[in-house]
Amino acid sequence: MRIEISRLTKTYKGGVRALDGLDLDVPTGMYGLLGSNGAGKTTLMRILAGLLRPTSGTVRVGGHDITAADGRLAVQRTLGYLPQSLGVYPDLTARQFLDYIALLKGLDSRPSRRRRIGELLETVALTPDADRRLKGFSGGMLRRVGIAQALLADPRLLVVDEPTTGLDPEERIRFRILLSRLAGDRTVLLSTHIVEDVAQTCRSLAVLDKGRLVFRGEVGELVSRAERRVWTLTTSGPAPSQGRIVAALPEGAGTRYRVITPTAPGPSAQPAEPTLEDGYLALMEPGR
Amino acid sequence: MRPLDLWSHEIRRAGPAALLAPPVLVVLIALLAAFGTRLGSREGNTAWFLMIALEAGIPLVSGIAAASLIGRDRAVEVQLTLPTGYRSTLLRRLAVTAGWSCLCALAASALLIVTGWWDLPPGAPHGPAGQLAWLSPALWLTALGLLAAAAFRGTTAAATVVASVWVFEQVFSSVFRESPVFRLLHLFATTRGTAPGEWLPNRLTLLSTALLLAAAAWLLLGDAERTLEGEAK
Amino acid sequence: MIATFRYEFRMQIRRPVLWIVYGLTFAVTVAGFGHTYLDLNLGGDEGREPRPAMIVSAILLTSLLPIVYGCLLADRLVRDRRLGMTDVLDTTPAGRTGRLAGKYLGVCAATAVPLVLAYLGRAAAYAVTEGEPAALGWAAVILVTTVVPALLFVGALALAGPLLMPPLLFRVLFVVYWFWGNIIPATMMPTLSHSILSANSQYVAYGLLGFGHYRELPPNVILPPGGIVYGPWPGAALNFLRPEASPAVALLWIGVMIALAAAVLLLARLHTARTES
Repeated sequence: MRIEISRLTKTYKGGVRALDGLDLDVPTGMYGLLGSNGAGKTTLMRILAGLLRPTSGTVRVGGHDITAADGRLAVQRTLGYLPQSLGVYPDLTARQFLDYIALLKGLDSRPSRRRRIGELLETVALTPDADRRLKGFSGGMLRRVGIAQALLADPRLLVVDEPTTGLDPEERIRFRILLSRLAGDRTVLLSTHIVEDVAQTCRSLAVLDKGRLVFRGEVGELVSRAERRVWTLTTSGPAPSQGRIVAALPEGAGTRYRVITPTAPGPSAQPAEPTLEDGYLALMEPGR
Repeated sequence: MRPLDLWSHEIRRAGPAALLAPPVLVVLIALLAAFGTRLGSREGNTAWFLMIALEAGIPLVSGIAAASLIGRDRAVEVQLTLPTGYRSTLLRRLAVTAGWSCLCALAASALLIVTGWWDLPPGAPHGPAGQLAWLSPALWLTALGLLAAAAFRGTTAAATVVASVWVFEQVFSSVFRESPVFRLLHLFATTRGTAPGEWLPNRLTLLSTALLLAAAAWLLLGDAERTLEGEAK
Repeated sequence: MIATFRYEFRMQIRRPVLWIVYGLTFAVTVAGFGHTYLDLNLGGDEGREPRPAMIVSAILLTSLLPIVYGCLLADRLVRDRRLGMTDVLDTTPAGRTGRLAGKYLGVCAATAVPLVLAYLGRAAAYAVTEGEPAALGWAAVILVTTVVPALLFVGALALAGPLLMPPLLFRVLFVVYWFWGNIIPATMMPTLSHSILSANSQYVAYGLLGFGHYRELPPNVILPPGGIVYGPWPGAALNFLRPEASPAVALLWIGVMIALAAAVLLLARLHTARTES
């Protein structure tokens, strides 16, 4: 399911421009959306989910214009959405919550609904906790309930907003594997400010900054933005003043710095292999 | 018609307070009808209290319940992205709380009619139209609660509006009785009295203005972005 | 406590709904009363002198606006728990008692601001139109002796009530309480209305401010030799809670309001200690 976004602008009441003339094509498969907090990712996600109206521009999802009511409804029928902070009804068990959302998604047949909920609880490894009330769930478990509810109607488009925020490393890895498995013939749009999430799951990505698109392409392309710009330097003296320090690790009597800068930050600096995070930071360098 | 399973979920969403308050009120009405005189309350007073419990108590409960519909929903963001429109879901929840209040009121009024209490207050309405004594104010305050909830997107402000209208009409009922315009909108015209021949027009005006309030709420609720924003900034 | 007071005051006073709901209620009151509200005339000629005029103005406002005041306060204490703020606040050096006191005074003060403005605004308008600057002084006296003690008690009740029951149920019961315990005639049924325990009693007006001397009643009403007596209602139950108004009883009423507020807050404090420890 393809998403075509053209000249999309969203200005909130009070004049805050969250998206500014965004053009983006998202193909089928896993697609990452990176950006710092406040870059406009959640606004874009909410527009795609039909929650916000664009101020101007067009958004077509699978050929449907989501600025029109019927287009929005058509998209919502094929959409799975996991918001940044999922609100749940704490008095319900995980199974009851999923049953309620499934009914609202139009899964009217009780046997097939139960079967689907059972499968999804298994998928997100919540079967043992399915009949516990949600008010006792940890953040990671609630995220998994969230992804299960998003998958209920077997959506063609899955929009997940900051899904791994607040998860422990094990939960995070499990979540990434789950998302990658789900991609297949779906479009999974993963919005995050955690670069590693995208590095581990997506081939293509876009980067937003202050509501504008600053990069779109393959992960490798973004990595290459930092090629010949990443250096390591070990010193017991002051930190290098040139470039942007992205890591500092104590080593013996000194500190090993990882620096992004076009030229070597010191005589003993060694070039290093860039990562996606380096590419992202290089892209975000002021005056790049 | 959606599956019964969905209705059973919506009944649960109404919460214990909205489900318990109307039957508790009916039980209190029954107790007052049975033991009021023995407690020393004059018969006329008891009859008036029974009627006011119906005309004012039931509408207060259903109005505050309607005002709490939106502000209490924690899963509103997911709800707004579902193919079943959020307005339909809210309408279903409203049908549960208001419908339950009305059923309880009907049971209480049947009890009062059978036991003869209904006929005691002077000028008590008779026949099927007599049921408008509680139905009109209940629907009016419910519609007001829904509109206030849609306008303020928060329970506190919406419930405050319902509560203050209720108290205003009780405290200053003479203001309503004396004004030819306000008289038509007096919620408690049965127990507080109105001009001769004005009771039925008052009840019908309440019903029709309730429809207008509900329609305004429906329009406001169609705006997902507004609903998502939460309490008025 | 002072920091809590300051922030709670700011958070509450910045809520637009506070101003919108008060504004709506006030507008409906003025529209409903029309000339009566402007004349401050409740059937007699009370509106002519500044002291009774300001008492009448206070009676009108404090019959209705405390409902708005109470309902707007009702979510403030349970809100911290819902927003997950309790743990964060518990790690601050401020003690729970100090925080509760600061929160209580801060939100009550902020929520009372529109009500006080409406009252003082009316007093200022009266002072200018009638050429009676004394109205402002009387308004201040009535505010401190009548309105503030009542609001202290109602505020404590509205803040603490939702700790014990769902807020929806509390709001319904609060309205019923206000109507039953403060508004209805005492002869209608056994009630706290017009008693020393009622926030809406006029003990200060009659006992301290001599409101009885200003009331003009129809000629067919035969008054006892001492003039109008505020207190016991002939034929009402619970009349032992309605002593005759006198300066001492007026001061007692103020003391009772403050003591009831303190007792309710103490219960709230004990409740939070039990549920959160």
